[in-house]
Amino acid sequence: MPINVLLVDDSAVMRRMITRTLQLSGVPLGAVVPCANGAEALEALRVSRVDLALVDINMPVMDGEQFLDHVRADPRLAPLPVVIVSTESSPTRVQRLRQKGALFVHKPFTPELLRDTIHSLPGLAHDPAAPTPAPPGGDLDF
Amino acid sequence: MIACTAPRVVGVGEFVVSTSDRERLVTYALGSCLGVAVHDPVAGVGGLLHLMLPDSTIDPVGVDQPGRYVDTGVPALFRECYRHGARKERMVVKVAGGAFSNRVFDHDAFQVGRRNLVALRRMFWKNGVLIHAEDVGGCLTVRTMSLFVGSGDVVLRVNGVDRPL
Repeated sequence: MPINVLLVDDSAVMRRMITRTLQLSGVPLGAVVPCANGAEALEALRVSRVDLALVDINMPVMDGEQFLDHVRADPRLAPLPVVIVSTESSPTRVQRLRQKGALFVHKPFTPELLRDTIHSLPGLAHDPAAPTPAPPGGDLDF
Repeated sequence: MIACTAPRVVGVGEFVVSTSDRERLVTYALGSCLGVAVHDPVAGVGGLLHLMLPDSTIDPVGVDQPGRYVDTGVPALFRECYRHGARKERMVVKVAGGAFSNRVFDHDAFQVGRRNLVALRRMFWKNGVLIHAEDVGGCLTVRTMSLFVGSGDVVLRVNGVDRPL
């Protein structure tokens, strides 16, 4: 069944890069819901059904950790798998985020690391028989 | 397990594509060079490439050996696989090599291994290819890479020890 992904990052370039990685990862991708900060993401969760959230930390209005706290405090949203994708370098903060049930991918990351992290989530293990969708055409070498 | 014939050697700056399920392709002495193994399990096509350098534009007379360079070798390898029925979305891609050429990172003046990896990642990203497994980097690490065409298994020999990739 296709999974819907909430993608929260204030950088449009990063959102595009993560979306492309998702498309190439072999995950059966449904809708990608893009948001520029935690407050937008909470609003999106009110009206959209999502199966996974990929969240930056340092964003205006509401940062990723505040967003995570809101999610975990809401019994309806608490089970949502959250992957933090951030430049955050404080081991204390990273540990705290992990204790709140989030996985962590450090920027800069390789697309393979993000793919493998997503596949490590329950129910999202890679199916080797599933073909990886080819990217949209364009200026390709092969 | 399929019994393999004698290994077919892929030389430095060369690539070989095979559809023989009894064949093992092998390339030796991957230091800063990169080995790229690709396999389409449905079409039964496997290929192995031994890249030397990132960019062919430094060598206008080297166009007759596209396998030397990332920007010419990778497209040539994939296109040859397509010619034998492989499809990009089924290809399993594994990479090894790209070591530093000195014991100390800062003493590797040309950073060929790192530049090869950057160029390869850029090429793959642009063309929508993710690497399934890799064993790259390290200092003065020399790797031998083998691809079993029948199974798609890749085996690395590093410091005399074989291990699957």
